[in-house]
Amino acid sequence: MPILSLQRVRKDYITDGDPVPALREVSLDVAPGEFVALMGPSGCGKSTLLNLAGAMDFPTSGAVLIDGVDTSALNDAGLTRLRREKIGFIFQSFQLLPALSVAENVELPLMLAGRPEARQTALDRLRQVEMEAFAARLPYQLSGGQMQRVAIARALAPAPKLLLADEPTGNLDSSTGETILQLLRRIARQGTAIVMATHSAEAANITDTVVRLRDGRVEAIAAPCPA
Amino acid sequence: MPRLILFHRLILRPLRREPARTLLTVAAVALGVAVVLAIELAGSAAAGSFRSSMETLAGAADYEVTTAGGIPAGVLTRLALLQEPLKLDPRIEDYAVIADRRRTVPFLGVDLLAHRPPEGPSDSASFSRQDSIWTGADLGYRTGDRVRLLINDHANEYTVRGVLGERSGEAIVMDLAPATRILGRAGRLDRILITGPAPLDLLQRAAGPGITVAAYGSRTAENRRMLAAFRWNLRVLSYIALVVGAFLIYNTISVSVVRRRAEIGIVRALGAPRPAILAAFLGEAAALGLAGGLAGILLGRAMAQGAVGLVAATVGSLYVSSTPAPIELTLATSLLGVALGVAVSVISALAPAWEAAQVPPVEAMSRGRRDHQVRVHSLRDLAFAAVLALAAWIASRQPAIDGKPLYGYLAAVTLIAASALAIPALISGLTIAGAAPLGRLFGAEALLAVRSLAGSMRRTAVLVGALSTAIAMMAAVGIMVGSFRQTVLLWMQDRLQADLYLRPASPAGADRHPTLAPEVADRIEALPEIAAVDRFRAYEITYQGMPATLGAGDARIVARYGARPFLSGANPRSIFAAMPGRDNVIVSEPFANKHHVRAGDTIGIALAGRPVRLNILDVYYDYSNERGYIIMDRSTLLKYLPDPAVSNLAVYLKPAASLESGRAAVERAVAGRKVVVLTNRSLREEAIAIFDRTFSITYALEAVAVFVAIMGVAGALLALVIDRRREFGLLRFLGGATAQLRRVILFEAALLGLLANVAGLILGVLLSLLLIYVINKQSFGWTIQFHWPIAVLLGAITLVYAATVIAAIYPARIAAKLNPIEVVHEE
Repeated sequence: MPILSLQRVRKDYITDGDPVPALREVSLDVAPGEFVALMGPSGCGKSTLLNLAGAMDFPTSGAVLIDGVDTSALNDAGLTRLRREKIGFIFQSFQLLPALSVAENVELPLMLAGRPEARQTALDRLRQVEMEAFAARLPYQLSGGQMQRVAIARALAPAPKLLLADEPTGNLDSSTGETILQLLRRIARQGTAIVMATHSAEAANITDTVVRLRDGRVEAIAAPCPA
Repeated sequence: MPRLILFHRLILRPLRREPARTLLTVAAVALGVAVVLAIELAGSAAAGSFRSSMETLAGAADYEVTTAGGIPAGVLTRLALLQEPLKLDPRIEDYAVIADRRRTVPFLGVDLLAHRPPEGPSDSASFSRQDSIWTGADLGYRTGDRVRLLINDHANEYTVRGVLGERSGEAIVMDLAPATRILGRAGRLDRILITGPAPLDLLQRAAGPGITVAAYGSRTAENRRMLAAFRWNLRVLSYIALVVGAFLIYNTISVSVVRRRAEIGIVRALGAPRPAILAAFLGEAAALGLAGGLAGILLGRAMAQGAVGLVAATVGSLYVSSTPAPIELTLATSLLGVALGVAVSVISALAPAWEAAQVPPVEAMSRGRRDHQVRVHSLRDLAFAAVLALAAWIASRQPAIDGKPLYGYLAAVTLIAASALAIPALISGLTIAGAAPLGRLFGAEALLAVRSLAGSMRRTAVLVGALSTAIAMMAAVGIMVGSFRQTVLLWMQDRLQADLYLRPASPAGADRHPTLAPEVADRIEALPEIAAVDRFRAYEITYQGMPATLGAGDARIVARYGARPFLSGANPRSIFAAMPGRDNVIVSEPFANKHHVRAGDTIGIALAGRPVRLNILDVYYDYSNERGYIIMDRSTLLKYLPDPAVSNLAVYLKPAASLESGRAAVERAVAGRKVVVLTNRSLREEAIAIFDRTFSITYALEAVAVFVAIMGVAGALLALVIDRRREFGLLRFLGGATAQLRRVILFEAALLGLLANVAGLILGVLLSLLLIYVINKQSFGWTIQFHWPIAVLLGAITLVYAATVIAAIYPARIAAKLNPIEVVHEE
């Protein structure tokens, strides 16, 4: 069973009273452990797709199934529970909370979910991304690459089945970006499905599947083609 | 002009985009200004009113003649025999109660033949009738109306023969002769006004020694001088809300600067010089101050209406009789309001505006780094706080300047500054120690709240500073008033030993001593249930240009029954034993402090025109009025002022007599007279009710300051939600529920409230020590024993705490309603 399934999904935003389509008839299945790149020009619908896949928004029509659960059938509390248990987010600008230490940032989703052993799990995840030594630091004391590693550790903290990454290397230099991509590749191999929005062909090359979007439609789904 | 356009675009327009927060800031300034203006207006109205009614028919006199116990008629004769063309206006001045209105008004006896009232008969027969009165225009009577007046211990019907002209206020006027009879003055006058060219020394010689001849109006000046400390303290209290408002302006402008650092960088890169940035943010503060000041004028005028009654009641109980004059909002007062609003705002904004001007064109520092710097500096600030606290202690040891506890105020301000500097360290300490346990106890919401408060140290410190200052002032005044109340209760226990107290139904005041006919005391003394009757008589006198009260009671009875604690700790019996038949007196603590006298000193006063030297045996604790008492034995008083009427009676029952039977017997003995008979308990209850009423304005001022601070918390939390919207959106991405977001804000408010309560209580206790032992002592001369009003304090801080958390509900709802997708992705 796919961990993520989008079935004829349409998403309209209302601008000045008129519906403006962001996604049109998009269908996509992501299997466990699959690494998918979403590519396309700005405004093509990548972020909208990630938001729907992350149970942050509802489709206007069609269905989004996460681990077999239709998001449209859930209320706010159900969506929150789904996010806590199944999904991790990684952002282009890291989005670490400046007032929390590295370890506290990582244990935050676990604490929000009321899970026990949050600190130990957080330290395990930090070890996984080789940031355990920085656990007590504050975000501003880290480099961009280190911050993104911490953000990945945080996304992995609740052991999600699906990781959604929005331009995770967009704010990093190419060498650091490469390291982050390798880290994501490793995570996918361990069984976590990853959907990554990116503009970068290099980034897309390490994924299993590249989905090209244009004007809200899926233009092509293919394996990456190394340059 | 282009600068104004830019100011509008970059500064004023953003204010409009956040109307709730802008309104809260303006309202905070408005309330601060309003309270200051209200107290100023109410104080002026209450203090400015002694003149209006008592000076009815006074005209433009040049001099006034007075003496304690009344001016003998011979003085008038001697003045009249002078060659100079003088107009003499002898007067009797007292108070009457209009029975059906229960209103106390000035009751004057003047020579109506000389004054010729504008209305009514003008023949001497009508003037001299015992029921003829002329009423002030403000009383609203018409000629022919019948008015029942309560004067001393009797009530009678009087006929209004005419209405006096403009500016006659609420006075009731009668011809001198019948007034003398009704008031039992036996030929003595209260005042003689003199109009005409004559040198003061000539008049003084003619009047004789022991008679005071002074420029007309000096009594009003004395009253004003006496009220100066009271008004000064009230004025200082009224500024608290404005100080709290200043913290909030600082916070608003700081938020504005932090939020627009990028904008500042861009504008600087486009060529704006540093002074322009400084001016822009000061302009923002000035705009908020101007709006607050203007709104404060209107609000202050409205609040003054409510405050004037409270201020006048206190003035009447403690100082001098006055009828509140109309509140006059002058252009000068209005300008003061606007100036206060603008000045406080601009001064509060100086630091953040200066900081804005220093922002380099390339934005280099992240918020986290800046806040970290503040945290690092908290230890340095703590050291400064210790230095300031030491300075406050030194200031508190200094004496008053010109009767004003200026060093005491300086110590208070220094302590508040020390507290503000110590607050970041307190926050650091408590948040570092509390984060982990709170996180474990209450989950992620508590951890986030603690961390973000510590992370936004600058803002947190300002908010805690504002709220804790308000709480501290509330706690300090609460402790001071509570201690004072407890002291007064204990003092009354010692002082009030009689079983029954009698006084005329006509209400007494600090300067009003209506009398009972002497036979009342004689009749009561003859009752079989009665063991002793202490006859007490009070006169209003002037000592060293300040009003005071001369009192006399039966020292032997007081020695037998009453315990009057002395500052020296001496045995009261031996002191009272040395009083009868001799010119020995005891003085109250406020008198001793005001006039710098002590046991063993000799003071000179004039009684009925006769200079008298009095030896002070000791100084006793007294809390009944602030004018100060000189107390002598009744035999000594009667030697100089032989009027046997008494102001009140303290009646001691025989041990075998029950209170009920004793009271019934006394009431039968005074039947037909307007006399109030109070039991010991009811007198104490009445006294404490007056005490509570006196301090109600203080509580009102505190409440406004706390309200301003809570408004500030609400505004700041709203700003915090707006600033941290990405963070709240992110929490939703990380699996946070909307209820958890709400709880984060509520936790933050709860922590702010807790920190402010801790800081406020510590500062409050220190300020209360200053109030009790320095400011109050130097202003009023009262010794107050320190007591903890635990229940009041607990109630007050619980209320403030609850209000702080309630203030967070709206910001919490806003946080929960944020669209996480929008706020996380906006750059």
